[in-house]
Amino acid sequence: MSRGGRHVYGALSVLAAGALVLTGCSKGGSDGSGDDKKQQENAKRQQASIRFGDAADSTGPAADVPGAKSGGTMEVLQRDSYAHLDPAQIYVSDEGSLASLIHRGLTGYKATSGDGSKHEVVGDLATDAGTTTDGGKTWKYTLKDGIKFANGSPITSKDVRHTVERLFAPFINQGPTYLQQWLADTPGTAYRKLLKDGPYNGKHLPGSLLETPDDKTIVFHFKTPHPDLPYALAMAGYAVVSEKGDTKEKYDKAPVTTGPYKVQSFKSGKSMVLVKNTNWDPKTDPIRHQYVDKFNITFNQQFETSTKALLADSGADQTGVSFNNQVDAGNLSQVLRDAKLKSRTVSGYQPYVGQMNINMSHPAMKDKTVREAIAYALPITPFVRAYGGNDAMEVAGGLISPTVSGYDSAFDPFGKKKKPAGDPEKAKELLKKAGKLNMKLTFGYINTPEGQQYSTAMAAGLKKAGFNVQRQEIPAETFYDQVSKLNNTYDIFHTAWGADWPSASTVIPPLYDGRVIADGAQNYSQVNDPKVNSEIDRINKITDPVKSAAEWEKLDQYIVKDVVNVVPTAYYKQTQIAGSKVGGLVYDDVIGGIDPRRLYIK
Amino acid sequence: MTSPIDIEGGGTSVVVDGEPQPETKSDTVKLEGRSPGQLMWTRFKRDRTGVISAYVVGFFFLVGLLAPLISKLYGKNPYTVYADERPELFDSAGVPVQPNGGISGEFWFGLEPGNGYDVFTKLIYGIRTSLMISVAVTLAVVVTGILLGVTAGYVGGKTDYFLGRFIDFLLAFPAQLFFIASMPVVVSLFVSPRDETPTYVRVVALILVQWFLGWMGLGRLLRGTALALREREFIEAAKVSGASPWRIIRKEILPNIVTPLLVQSTYLLPGFVTAEAGLSYLGVGIVEPTPDWGQMFSKASTELVMQNDITYMFFPGISMIIFVVAFNLLGDSVRDAFDPKTAR
Repeated sequence: MSRGGRHVYGALSVLAAGALVLTGCSKGGSDGSGDDKKQQENAKRQQASIRFGDAADSTGPAADVPGAKSGGTMEVLQRDSYAHLDPAQIYVSDEGSLASLIHRGLTGYKATSGDGSKHEVVGDLATDAGTTTDGGKTWKYTLKDGIKFANGSPITSKDVRHTVERLFAPFINQGPTYLQQWLADTPGTAYRKLLKDGPYNGKHLPGSLLETPDDKTIVFHFKTPHPDLPYALAMAGYAVVSEKGDTKEKYDKAPVTTGPYKVQSFKSGKSMVLVKNTNWDPKTDPIRHQYVDKFNITFNQQFETSTKALLADSGADQTGVSFNNQVDAGNLSQVLRDAKLKSRTVSGYQPYVGQMNINMSHPAMKDKTVREAIAYALPITPFVRAYGGNDAMEVAGGLISPTVSGYDSAFDPFGKKKKPAGDPEKAKELLKKAGKLNMKLTFGYINTPEGQQYSTAMAAGLKKAGFNVQRQEIPAETFYDQVSKLNNTYDIFHTAWGADWPSASTVIPPLYDGRVIADGAQNYSQVNDPKVNSEIDRINKITDPVKSAAEWEKLDQYIVKDVVNVVPTAYYKQTQIAGSKVGGLVYDDVIGGIDPRRLYIK
Repeated sequence: MTSPIDIEGGGTSVVVDGEPQPETKSDTVKLEGRSPGQLMWTRFKRDRTGVISAYVVGFFFLVGLLAPLISKLYGKNPYTVYADERPELFDSAGVPVQPNGGISGEFWFGLEPGNGYDVFTKLIYGIRTSLMISVAVTLAVVVTGILLGVTAGYVGGKTDYFLGRFIDFLLAFPAQLFFIASMPVVVSLFVSPRDETPTYVRVVALILVQWFLGWMGLGRLLRGTALALREREFIEAAKVSGASPWRIIRKEILPNIVTPLLVQSTYLLPGFVTAEAGLSYLGVGIVEPTPDWGQMFSKASTELVMQNDITYMFFPGISMIIFVVAFNLLGDSVRDAFDPKTAR
């Protein structure tokens, strides 16, 4: 997932007159120590890969959260209002958090440890994570008994068929496209030809692709193996939609839900109230809980506002939480330094990996020595600083994030972990060798306060190595549009990308497959390396997730070390805070934030 | 007003046999001719506030002028990213580890949170940038004001009418909004898409937009003065004796508008300094890494600085308050010295 609602835009803080209290002096430093060990533990806990659960794992109810109590109202402070409630339109992570409470799909991630670190993919509406007999070409799912929509009607295979077929309707344009592409066996948006208007004109997908022989059984047929299907089906974008209740475009505002909560009222841009769904049966659900009676969600709470409110911990904010807001960069170190707040904060990785793209379409950038010089010279520290330090960013070695299976923490080809401020001497040597000392390097940066801050310091670092850096600002709103244009003028620019599920198959193919270079596509560096292309095809066919994870990591290392079309910068992290009466506070690595399903009121 | 008797200036008095003749002495002093400028100077020197303000203002200009020299002696420059050069002085968020923003014998005013620029050199270079721009704007405004204002006043008739309406038209512009909206446009006029916007382009653009909407007040004032002067006898005498309009403006009118001109420009300059700082604060003026006074304010208002290093704000804040207050007091004193009879 890229862009979405989660790129960290620092808000320009308003300078209130009252804030100018003449304290006269200030304490030095902003963060505590001893974080390194915790970081390594965090990294380590990510490396266990996620397995597919069987029927026993997929049986409800979910194991109780220790000490959990039922009842009460929880206040939720969110920054962005939800633009979409229709599952097929949900792709950004804050809507994903909401979807974990109201929508259910065929599969889902079940937390197998109390700290949100270990997961397995289990059957959610289906009895298991899916069975395949031919290495991922055919997948069979059987629905559980007693599963119902919030309006009381039972969920049948017809609804699942409808859910899949409406993904091809023209008005569904925001969600993930993996399943559609796999069914149509084409890349890009060509899949829409398969079923032009969705199921609404009486046309359906043929039995050779999607079979529903009875009310309980669904069979997917693909032309090529797709061992990742259980992961893909666990995305909120593939949650089930009611065939009878489908109101097409209007479904986006008032969906027929399936999860433990349903939407009681929704005022876009202002507030939302979630109440218990009485037709949800805990015995059918191995993943979710239903402790809180009611969630009161209010929008337009900036990071600074929500942090201050939850820090103050008074009145309704005592039972307050934010699913997705993080502690803002300015308050971050203070919050983490305060030992009293330890029980009220959780930290973890976001799925995003930052990377400095080197534009391979420019003739000057075709010289590998030059690209290596950039990789050695580029200081990462400015980036880490701009977002609030080591608590918000961790210097990256490779392109595979710690939240993705296959991550190798020892991989660090350009010594960024040891020398995060760059190695200008070595870079200068390389640049001299290439005979390109003082070459012009156009650096397109996103025009946010953070972007301005890190780009100036990065430019200073590159200048030391002998580059003639030309910084160019790009407006934040159109940044990704500008840098994904094939004829853009920028030599280097920074982007971030997050995996859709914990497999590098959602990272490397969209970003580095030379055959998907197009205006607006995500191969930002415009790399077209024959070995990368053939490896992508080869690894995509491996059905064993553990083996393919290892192979992806090898390809990642090849890209970073031998192709050098991108320089990994940092793994995004965040810290979130809740009121003192909020229980069950856990940072879920799959959601990339607080797990809303486990929350209760003390 | 008479000046005090100068006892040692008695070169003209004749001393006969030790008998002093004070009467003669005071007579000779009274006879000494003084130009209005000299009178103003003596009056100004007696105004203690004015003199102190003048020294303060002079000090700021000196600091701005000598900024490269000072930073050379001090051994640092405002572009070095100390957070990368001396990482031991910072935590990972770029906040100086030492208290009070890392003030030490080495870094006199501490280090800027974020990228860790040296605050002392950043401040003196910031003063240099801001004053340079403001002086340039003031000069441009004064020249434009004289040219258009005096022309309108002296020529009169249709010229006066159209210039007057043009001034009205420009005065109707919301200045601050116009600056914010036009700065990026003006900047983009000059820059090729492959290159970074050079600092001088931003400087020129800042001068241009401030000049464009800055000269009308002064122009109007000078028009009024010229209008009044035009009817005076000495001008008519000059006209009768056949002097050209250019000569009359140059030799007869200009010397008589020096007073309002000087007074107005001492009020204008601090206004331009704050306006320039305001633009940079809003992010449309001078941007990082070029040091600038206003941009230091915008840095000081970030949550990072507010939460972790409030000391930083005092350096740009206090220095600007001192400068603007001193310059305004200086303006008052200059006005008093020129025109002591006007009650305030």
